[in-house]
Amino acid sequence: MTITSLIVTSGRGARRRMRGRDVLPWLLLIAAIAVSVLPFFWVLRTALSTNGELAANSASLLPAGFSLGAFLRVFGLQSPEEAVAQGGSGASIDFWSYLRNSAVFASVTTVCSVFFSSMAAYAFSRLRWKGRDKVFALFLGTVLVPPIFTALPNFLLIRNLHLIDTMLGLVLPYLFMTPFAIFFMRQFFLSMSREVEEAAMIDGARHGRIFFQIVLPNAVGPLVTLMLLTFMTQWNEYFWPLLVSGDNTRVLTVGLGVFKSQSPQGAPDWSGLMAATLVSALPVIVLFIAFGKRIVNNIGFSGTK
Amino acid sequence: MTTTATPPIAAVEPRHRAAPPASPRRRRRSDLGVALIYIAPAVIGLVAFYIVPTIRGLYLSFTEYSVLGDPEWVGTSNYEALARDPLFWNAMVVTVEYVVINILLQTTIAVGLALLMHHVARSTLLRGLLLLPYLMANVIAAMLWFWMLDYNLGIVNQFIEWAGLPRVAFFGSAEWAIPTQALINTWRHMGYTSLLIFAGLQAIPPTVYEASKLDGAGPVQTFTRITLPLLRPVLALVLVVTVTGSFQVFDTVAVTTGGGPVNATRVLQFYIFQRAFSQQEFGYGSAIAVVLFVILAVVAFIQMKFLRGNESDLD
Amino acid sequence: MNRPIRFLATASVGAVSVAALAGCGGTSGSAEGTIDYWLWDANQLPAYKQCAEDFHKENPDITVKITQTAWDDYWSKLTNSMAAGTAPDVFTDHLAKFADFVNSDQLMPIDTSDIDMTQYAEGLADLWVGQDGEQYGLPKDWDTVALFYNKKFAADAGLTDEQMSALTWNPEDGGTFEEAIARLTVDKNGVHGDEPGFDKDNVAVHGLGLNASGAGNGQTEWSYLTGTTDWTHTDENPWGTHYNYDDERFQDTIAWWAGLVQKGYMPELETTVGASMPDNFGAGKTAMTSDGSWSVGQYVGYKDVEVGIVPTPVGPNGKNASMFNGLADGIWAGTDDKESAVKWVEYLASAACQDVVGEHAVVFPAITSSTEKAKAAFADKGIDITPFTQHVDAGTTFLFPITDNAAKIQGIMEPAMDAVVSGQADASTLSDANDQVNALFE
Repeated sequence: MTITSLIVTSGRGARRRMRGRDVLPWLLLIAAIAVSVLPFFWVLRTALSTNGELAANSASLLPAGFSLGAFLRVFGLQSPEEAVAQGGSGASIDFWSYLRNSAVFASVTTVCSVFFSSMAAYAFSRLRWKGRDKVFALFLGTVLVPPIFTALPNFLLIRNLHLIDTMLGLVLPYLFMTPFAIFFMRQFFLSMSREVEEAAMIDGARHGRIFFQIVLPNAVGPLVTLMLLTFMTQWNEYFWPLLVSGDNTRVLTVGLGVFKSQSPQGAPDWSGLMAATLVSALPVIVLFIAFGKRIVNNIGFSGTK
Repeated sequence: MTTTATPPIAAVEPRHRAAPPASPRRRRRSDLGVALIYIAPAVIGLVAFYIVPTIRGLYLSFTEYSVLGDPEWVGTSNYEALARDPLFWNAMVVTVEYVVINILLQTTIAVGLALLMHHVARSTLLRGLLLLPYLMANVIAAMLWFWMLDYNLGIVNQFIEWAGLPRVAFFGSAEWAIPTQALINTWRHMGYTSLLIFAGLQAIPPTVYEASKLDGAGPVQTFTRITLPLLRPVLALVLVVTVTGSFQVFDTVAVTTGGGPVNATRVLQFYIFQRAFSQQEFGYGSAIAVVLFVILAVVAFIQMKFLRGNESDLD
Repeated sequence: MNRPIRFLATASVGAVSVAALAGCGGTSGSAEGTIDYWLWDANQLPAYKQCAEDFHKENPDITVKITQTAWDDYWSKLTNSMAAGTAPDVFTDHLAKFADFVNSDQLMPIDTSDIDMTQYAEGLADLWVGQDGEQYGLPKDWDTVALFYNKKFAADAGLTDEQMSALTWNPEDGGTFEEAIARLTVDKNGVHGDEPGFDKDNVAVHGLGLNASGAGNGQTEWSYLTGTTDWTHTDENPWGTHYNYDDERFQDTIAWWAGLVQKGYMPELETTVGASMPDNFGAGKTAMTSDGSWSVGQYVGYKDVEVGIVPTPVGPNGKNASMFNGLADGIWAGTDDKESAVKWVEYLASAACQDVVGEHAVVFPAITSSTEKAKAAFADKGIDITPFTQHVDAGTTFLFPITDNAAKIQGIMEPAMDAVVSGQADASTLSDANDQVNALFE
């Protein structure tokens, strides 16, 4: 079984004329895309509405009681009285702080874990040493461990190190490697042609130089893809930050909790919640628009041929 | 929280390698020293944040620990209690229900979408649009659907009412609560999973299809006899990871139903969180987590064996 | 092609150092002279912000940082932060939870030698005394339960205000209370609940609203009914060790109450997820609710509804009843600034702050003189709070159940009660739940 390096990006198929029997597949595809995309429209519509009017106009396509209040609430620009009057929470939402924390958390963990994982992947693919495959299998096994199983003791560890509510404590478990990153890069390294390396080895280059000056430069493509995927995953982390972050390190996903019901019998601040949803998805969407082609085309890289 | 992302096919070292190039044999010494340096950070991470916590979690499962005090050794009493705990068995049933619905739905839709893309349209734009839900965090997707499926104000119930049917309390009714969670998860992941399968589809050489056409195979036959078997490695991996991830559902439940109504969505990972943090029984929570771990290991093992994901029929 | 790699390497090193530095900077919350204070009621936030500002003027070296967290998340965030060692210095405490906190040594005892404990409404301060005799909270406010109803719907149904103020109830046939509820329920065809042809599957307006199943305490949901049967939650209160959910009087009451759903007079439990009982009232989907005095402002604020407030119905023991609850502010045992925390708590419990709270007309402050101010403030808004205060004057209150193991009891009773109210289980299953609860005390 051979392994290709990159999945062929097609799209260059000949443009066929639409045939009758293509209609059904096209309809299904359009339906799937509609289901994926239309909810975002509905979210936008709700985000531009006022809470009080939502009940009356629950079906209209246009915002009910058009207002930018929800977005103001998300950005923390509304006074508590106004917020409560509009059905939201009077709590202060330190949006920019949450955004910053999410950005720092995601970036730091991405850069570090991808780098260290690449190093390990190189060791697992290019270096020969006793027990290599066994150790790799060990790393593989970690995927099976339920996050909550390690989360509880990790929480205790971070607490005992007095790192609760610090960025260091938040990033620590992710700093050194993620199993996925190791697999991903190992897969790529295995498929790389060895000739240049072998030549360099014959010339007497040591592994360090080979890694930094030959292997990594050739791996920029997958590296970037991996970093993008990792960043997205980290941006969307919820459980671990819930446990370990406090007021100073709250990330966006956890911070959005403020838009849920504010009182025992209250309803959620729907418009605020939807506005917050949009705003927190925005950075990832922007990244996606910028790098989308690369992500979409390489997502199956992990596959085989 | 389900899949993070799919790891590549495991252990794909080619069995038959071409004879090594004619380089001098003097480089046969082990690279152990260098390797140790290169894997050092990853090993630190593995040991400190995976292995040690696993051992510690195992230890804690034999204790009573309220987090605010000190752990107190109680032997196997946590495990005995959990065998008798109706909420634990409920969590098992509910989680399995979720996994089954989620996997069936997600895999079928993903395969279908992948086929559609393969045959009908391969543009990057379309693929990108399908990926849109995956960009949001699980909790965000959950809140989005919490709003759209709301009993009183949700747009979906509005449509249902227009269609003349009675409104459905998606999150409030015991029958619908878990399927709704599965629906949310499917919505978020179907684009991503379908792209993975799509990549697998693209890897099948067209010559295979041509050959089968020459033999007179119809579309259904082609699909079941050729496409599916050749997709097996990709499908196997996708299944292993999505099943493992599904067993670990937490985010969406925590943010919408909180285990309710009654106990209809009190899935394993949420129940663990509830006992460990809300009720301050870390020891008991760890015991349940150990059980979950064993289940996942067994399930993954069975799956890999059954699906023989290591091999590919293309060889 | 060295650059990308060098960049990656330096970036990683840089990132790690940034993380390390960031780690050095932040400790748990408080900068010098800042007190973290948590509360959950968004409606009370403005009043307490005012208190914080006034306090800061008197104590310029102490700043109070108030964080409001939704009730749904408040307790889990609090217990998580206690486990993490980052709990707030001062927080609003609840009678249901404070026992667990005392037992796990999370509350700091308060020295009351300089405080006039008689200024509080009778019995309030004693509620916050632990089993060891120490004071673990200073009373903040108190609340009781009453009935809120839509005056127009009542008039349309032929019910006068006098009738509504004098409802009676019993577990067998529901008394005039059930008659009123049935009368107020209207289906989509305009047929009332007590008329022939009433379609209980197509109800437009429910006679009685549903918030939740009430779990073990049923503060606003059903305790005002059980309180008139001479049934009590526990053998003694506070600090009881035996619950009475297997009692016939309790189960009959719950059976009657859950039966309202089957009859179509009360919404199904599943429809309450994501919804708000007061909002449904304000939208004209519910004609009457039983709710606490803390939500008066909300009910009165609905634009299209004229709301009437009447006392809870008179029950089998010849009187009406209401659960009496009070909140207090507690000090976290792990606070790093004990002095300032104590000062803030004493300020919160003083007339200076409680007058402000009273004047905002949201809740009834614990200090009796401040309650008078609240009465006046409510009266200015056109709200008569006698239906709430009469219980205190007439002695028809009973305490919120205070025992150990509150969180675990909640975990047992909530699903059990949910099952009964949603019709999945019979009220007799509550005896099994009771056994589980009592097993916690062995």
